[in-house]
Amino acid sequence: MKTKQRLFRKPWLGVACFSVAAFFLFAAGPVQAQEPIVLGTLCPLTGAGGPYGPGMEKVVTKVVEEINKNGGIHGRMIKLYHEDSQTNPESAVRAARKLIDVNKVNAIMGTWASAVTMAIAPLCWENKVFDISVSGADAISELKDDDYIFRTQPNSNLQGQVHARFALKSGWKKVAYMAVQTPFAQTFGDAFKAEFEKGGGKITDFVIYEANKASYRSELTKVLATKPDAIELMGYLPDSTVIAKELYKIGYEGRLLGPNYAINQKLVDNVGAEVAEGLYSIDPATNPDSPAHKHLKQLVADADIHAYSTQSYDHINLIALAIAAGKVSSGTGIRNTLRTVSNPPGQEVGGYLEGIKLLSAGKKINFQGASGDCDFDDKGDILSRPFSYYQVQKGKVVTIGRLDK
Amino acid sequence: MFEQFLQFVINGVVSGGILALPATAFSLLYGILNFPNFAISAYITAGAFLFYALNATLHLPFWAALSCAFVLSGFMGVGVDRAVFKPMRGRRHLTLAIASIGLSFIMENIVRFIWGNELRSFDLPVARALKFGAMRVGKEQLLILLTAVGITIIVQALLRGTRLGKAMRAVADNPMLASVKGLDSEQVIRRTSFIGAALAGVSGIMVGVDTIVEPLMGFKLVFSVFAAAILGGIGNAAAAVSGAFCVGLAEEVSLIWIPATYKSAVGFGMIVVVLLLKPSGLFNRQTAR
Amino acid sequence: MLSYLVAILTFVFIYAILALGLNVQWGFAGLVNLGHVGFFAVGAYTSAILAKLGVPFPWSLTAAVCLAGLFGILVALSTLRLREDFLAIVTLGFSEIVRLFLLNESWLTGGANGITAIPRPLRSLFEQGYDVFYAGVLGIVLVLLYLFLERVRLSPYGRVLRAVREDEVVAAVAGKNVFQFKVQAFALGAAIAGLAGAFYGHYLTFIAPEIFVPLVTVNVWVALIVGGGGNNKGAVVGAFILMGFLESTRFLKDFIPMVSDFRLAAIREILVGLFLVVLIIYKQEGLLPEKPVTDRP
Repeated sequence: MKTKQRLFRKPWLGVACFSVAAFFLFAAGPVQAQEPIVLGTLCPLTGAGGPYGPGMEKVVTKVVEEINKNGGIHGRMIKLYHEDSQTNPESAVRAARKLIDVNKVNAIMGTWASAVTMAIAPLCWENKVFDISVSGADAISELKDDDYIFRTQPNSNLQGQVHARFALKSGWKKVAYMAVQTPFAQTFGDAFKAEFEKGGGKITDFVIYEANKASYRSELTKVLATKPDAIELMGYLPDSTVIAKELYKIGYEGRLLGPNYAINQKLVDNVGAEVAEGLYSIDPATNPDSPAHKHLKQLVADADIHAYSTQSYDHINLIALAIAAGKVSSGTGIRNTLRTVSNPPGQEVGGYLEGIKLLSAGKKINFQGASGDCDFDDKGDILSRPFSYYQVQKGKVVTIGRLDK
Repeated sequence: MFEQFLQFVINGVVSGGILALPATAFSLLYGILNFPNFAISAYITAGAFLFYALNATLHLPFWAALSCAFVLSGFMGVGVDRAVFKPMRGRRHLTLAIASIGLSFIMENIVRFIWGNELRSFDLPVARALKFGAMRVGKEQLLILLTAVGITIIVQALLRGTRLGKAMRAVADNPMLASVKGLDSEQVIRRTSFIGAALAGVSGIMVGVDTIVEPLMGFKLVFSVFAAAILGGIGNAAAAVSGAFCVGLAEEVSLIWIPATYKSAVGFGMIVVVLLLKPSGLFNRQTAR
Repeated sequence: MLSYLVAILTFVFIYAILALGLNVQWGFAGLVNLGHVGFFAVGAYTSAILAKLGVPFPWSLTAAVCLAGLFGILVALSTLRLREDFLAIVTLGFSEIVRLFLLNESWLTGGANGITAIPRPLRSLFEQGYDVFYAGVLGIVLVLLYLFLERVRLSPYGRVLRAVREDEVVAAVAGKNVFQFKVQAFALGAAIAGLAGAFYGHYLTFIAPEIFVPLVTVNVWVALIVGGGGNNKGAVVGAFILMGFLESTRFLKDFIPMVSDFRLAAIREILVGLFLVVLIIYKQEGLLPEKPVTDRP
């Protein structure tokens, strides 16, 4: 009786006890049968990458839901943490710190901007956290990352060559190169120029322009004065949209080629079918007929499927399969086993559920993703791979060919 | 060669036309309220999105949507002034400038909250440009130009001819004296806020017609707008328009010589040059305030 | 958890130094600098470029501070004779021009790719706990800077600056070269931003032009106003509050999963803006008002 009275006479002591107990309760979490596998996404939900991040995150969430519904990975559920990189390297570093130090993730998926990936890369390899991104800058391949940094976006040197070959194949003789100022504007352009001139073509102008301007009229006037047959436009969606509209108004009769992340259905919807008619674009082949892509379509709405979210599908599947194959869920474990499930030889699979069946039967698998074959070289870069050619016809982006490697 | 140069000049005139409206709005607000209202970039964006909601979502035809957006933007300007700037009357004008930056932040993100980051376009056809020999002028761009000129004439008439206009000029010159003479400066400020925000909103619509609609659109324009207003001379609507054409021309024609990656530097350079040589503005008859 | 907190603390220290620099310009001398991030960038890049060329940290740091201060002098000289709003607009333009330069002149700055693998001073001495060491050093720098600026504030020099801030005409009549004081204050604030920049670059080991955007300037302003518009203690406290707010909204997300992320981000930005606006309107002195110096009338 007396002790009880004394305890409640000092209410703060009670509150303190309660808080400490609550803290431990929350920190410990609900009692788990088995420890969950902790993974994280760091997509650009806001900022320049804002249009793409939500879709990327949603895809990963849906895949994880499906895996967990079907028993998790060897009975362990996947716990996902999401952060917003804000397409800003500093915010991304703080977010990555939270994911790594507080949430204790073993892998981070989905960083989009090259500067973001490069900013968090040292954090990842120092903490032995696996990172896989959609960033394209060549500088990423050169990082001394102890093989913890992978990406599914082919580097710009390769892409430049592919675009140039398409230009040559299409019979264009004089091409002007226009690019928005990014980490790959110069490298892509140089690769494009070298390959195109090797094939006998002529680059009539090489213009890098500022991002986020309200108009590009005079940039275009300058370029068109050199009378190109075609323009290779390495821009982002906003400036590409503005330029496409402006070219139409000017009455430009030549061709336009660009990356599919900029020249795509969204651009067509914004400028209208007539303006967009005939525009070409290329991207690393997503095979819409592939089992992975079909599976992806079952999981999320079409609006969420784009050049980057298809890669997100591959990211989570690759990681899940690597964990399943190696039976180790740490970042180091994922790094060590990833290529065994991603690269040939092996039976081709398009998703985790397919893959786990074969793995459990002791078979070797080769994951073929929604964004491509997903085979990695020793730097963690995607190997040379098929590309798809598209053209806008009557308001729709239509596949017109492939480059198989 | 000459034709190409002329095309640059035409491009410059068109750019100037697009800048003319927001520059007038900014200059007007600056003159009457005596501080640079950085929220002008948000007014531009908001106007465009309001039009988008009316035109693309509710399917109103162009002129109906434009008029509604004009009025709605105006009321928005009044509301914003009431909420944010009115409690700060009499405060140091730089404090107001800082508040306007916070305000710009808030408004731009409200737009993001409602519409997201996606690019959008109005429900309007894109027309081929008119050809004059080897030169091109876009139909919408001519429309924008005409609108800019038309509105400038109207605003000038307003300022010179009407009582409101005279009141605005009086309040701009000397608020204390104006109130002594019985002018209700609050009413003048209210009306100026309405006009300024409405003009900025319409300019946002013009930008959207010319290019695309997205939350960043006002911000992309804003530095050139400052340059135009400062070049012309703060508080002088006609001067702002002249300043706008100067900036527009400079930005486009300079591309003949400077790399396209430094386009923004042109506007900045012009500001510095004007401030060093004639701070009251190139077209302002007044001497430094 | 500890590493996360140490990291956040490091960022807080850097923002606090930035806020102190801004306070010299705004709080002491009444100057509006909307391009603080430009001087921050100059400091970061100067130290990074020199360090990668092999220059030891103390020297690259000094160069960073000096170059940022020099730019401060140039910017101030160009506009301080004019109406003060122009300084605001010119500084805004300045920071954008700096960013463009960093983006385009890749021969010097690495362009859009930025600069990677910036060496960390004294890294080799620490197997573990380097981050704690770095945060500690930064904390000491912050304290020294704070004490220095407090001395300045209470000194006759500080008194002149306050006089200039309150009423230029009176100060000029009293025989003070108003212009010179303003340029000095502006340059000092810029130099302090350069100091913050150098530490920032060596901490992240990677910098790129897209980090140095006007948003950073806005954040520093918010920190300054929230803490106490115009005093040193407020600047430091404001930095804590700002970072605390920015990071806590991160955790909030785990508790309200139903609101979509980009909406939450928009809400966060709106709240930051609201903080700034509301505090400016109703409580300009911020949460820690300036204690009047005893010799003021």
